Amino acid sequence: MPSRALAARRHARRQRPFHHLFVLPALAIFALFVAYPIGWVAYTSLFAVSLHGVSHWAGLGNYRSVLDNPTFWIVVRNMFYWALITIPVQMVIGGLLAWAVEEYTHRSRALFRTLFFVPVITSVVVIAIVWSNIYAPYYGILQQGLSEIGIHFQTALLGSAGTAIFAIIIVNVWEWTGFSMLMYIAGLKTIPVQLLEAARMDGASGINLARFVLVPALSGVNRSLLLLGVIGTLQTFPLVFLMTDGGPDHASEVFGTYIFRHGFVLGQTGYASALSVVVLVIALVMTLLQIRFLGSKFSLKG
Amino acid sequence: MHRPIRAIAASGFMISASVLSLATILPASSAAATVSGKKTVVTVWSWFIKSTMDKAIAAFEKTHPNVVIRYSYYNYSPQYLTALKAAAASNTLPDIIGLQPGALTQQYRPYLVPLNRLAEKTWGKNWESRLYPVDIKQMTMGNPPGNSGMYIMPQESQVICLWYNTVAFKRLHLTVPTTLPELVHDAKVLSSHGYIPMYQGAAGAWQNENVYLMLADQLAPGLIDKAQYGKASWTSPALVKAMTVWGSLFHDGVFQSGALGDQAYPTGAQLFADGRVGIMALGSWWLQEDRYPPPLPPLVKNMKGFAPFYFPAIEPHGHPSPPVGGVDVGDGLTKAGAKIPAAWQFLASLVDGKGEQASLNDLNDLPAFKFFEPTIPLTAHMKSIYNGFLVKLSHAHNQRFAYPVIENAFDNALAAVAAGTESPLAALKKVQSVTVSTFHS
Repeated sequence: MPSRALAARRHARRQRPFHHLFVLPALAIFALFVAYPIGWVAYTSLFAVSLHGVSHWAGLGNYRSVLDNPTFWIVVRNMFYWALITIPVQMVIGGLLAWAVEEYTHRSRALFRTLFFVPVITSVVVIAIVWSNIYAPYYGILQQGLSEIGIHFQTALLGSAGTAIFAIIIVNVWEWTGFSMLMYIAGLKTIPVQLLEAARMDGASGINLARFVLVPALSGVNRSLLLLGVIGTLQTFPLVFLMTDGGPDHASEVFGTYIFRHGFVLGQTGYASALSVVVLVIALVMTLLQIRFLGSKFSLKG
Repeated sequence: MHRPIRAIAASGFMISASVLSLATILPASSAAATVSGKKTVVTVWSWFIKSTMDKAIAAFEKTHPNVVIRYSYYNYSPQYLTALKAAAASNTLPDIIGLQPGALTQQYRPYLVPLNRLAEKTWGKNWESRLYPVDIKQMTMGNPPGNSGMYIMPQESQVICLWYNTVAFKRLHLTVPTTLPELVHDAKVLSSHGYIPMYQGAAGAWQNENVYLMLADQLAPGLIDKAQYGKASWTSPALVKAMTVWGSLFHDGVFQSGALGDQAYPTGAQLFADGRVGIMALGSWWLQEDRYPPPLPPLVKNMKGFAPFYFPAIEPHGHPSPPVGGVDVGDGLTKAGAKIPAAWQFLASLVDGKGEQASLNDLNDLPAFKFFEPTIPLTAHMKSIYNGFLVKLSHAHNQRFAYPVIENAFDNALAAVAAGTESPLAALKKVQSVTVSTFHS
């Protein structure tokens, strides 16, 4: 045995230099597609462009401008609204749909799964146009339906600073709830039938079954959806861009539209880069918080 | 199977996502002009309508059999702006790029060549006399002091105006408003009969700018142009008054309810073409609706349901707004394109040749060079509208902004007043503040 162990150790030592080579492709990809862009953006954020297009050193000036700009804080507020509303609502409705589809449909199960999932695979452009037409106060589908029962909008949902962001959040929930449902269906499939039968034999049903059996058993799905929800929030762009372009008066501005406006429309690459670095820091903080409180492993199981 | 997803991998995703909008500055395409076999390839990017550009290309290639034009059409925002930015950063801009004068041209000026000499060589010393004054002014907008280079050549010109639905007006016995109270009255009558009174796509910025420019130039011609260069204050009484009127259009029922959430294109234009709107602020390009493939809405055919007018007088004894306009779309020659003679030849044909004629015959907009006109048969009504625009274009006021930061501040002010979140004076003070800091930075 000792000689065999010794031989194994020698073999491992001989092979060790090559072990590191296996990491190189991953490192190269990481360096090219993650580290380099971050470095480039961080470097660019330290420069500004003068009125006539001359680039000059700005130090932390762009960061000061970002934090001093009231619109930035509107964006931060909107991102909080987005995360705080979309993530739990999508999870709750998605979970209920998953339970209903799996528990109460039999032959038509595939049909219902497909129907609820269709918004996820529908083009966001189509969704934006359809919902803009639903919301439109004059000719909108929603208004025309409500007119039949004597209800008339006093404000336009997308045209009012107080409602625009919430109107888009509703569309986002509609679009992505099917994804949550699918995740929960996958999670439900991993719960042992014996566990559910045992719980039922013990008298668990309804809220109690959900609270003491299903929710703990699906905690892996919950963590995954939470993580994906935060990522999705920070990536939000097309729906807002297409429905309001961040308006009216920046009321529905999100990081995506705000960075795009400064970087691509106004040509303020430095300012947009500083904004991107701020978003990066927020993302890192959110990730660390999630790792701290939820752990670093995610799965469909609890 | 228990397949854990490492949070660190997820954080990598987040990192990538957060910088995605700026970090993907990778070559958009192999855009540099090359020689394909014996033929010279010229690459062109623009948001200019593809069907019309294809006709211009076909006309050019017919007379230049050794040249192939490769045109890439983009939607203006976000696709075109994104593509340009990425290509500029990676030095892969095409030979010719579509531009708007002022802010957009200035953004890409370092990648462009001045066209003055080429133009003089092609059209003679007095070539500028063949252009409209407002276009010439816009061709150097935003240049650094002492730089008289023209980095954009106008492909088409435009005049901004209001169009009204003649069928609706006739049906409701309305007359074209000549004063602001008449406009408010007409809007109320239109609304009470189920029409959208005056459609404003206030979710976007361009239509807002156009309406305000009409108002401001009516009260103090040329003042806004001075203000954008820091030579007059944005808080001048005339500009504040124009801003007050702008805000009132949202609250007095002139614009449709919820205008701040609406887009002019495609929604507004479709509703207007279908006859569901009374008035809309558009421009000379509205004529092109007549040339779209059938089936056309009845009002659009030969423009028989539409006619233009100018913003009614604001003051009791005032006059309607003067025409506002300039370059609709222009083109720039990149440093790579300057090395290929065929690139300039094609660009020149777009502004003063067979390419331009093809565009005009599609009624895409007004010509960049004087004395061009459509050669297709037009009804008397359309001919009268077209010629009217050409007359207006020769003394139109500038509609463009030189600096994107100031334009953005101005757009914010318009949106804030429209939303009622700021008073006209407070909103314009912010524009003034941005203007002052821009010129002192």
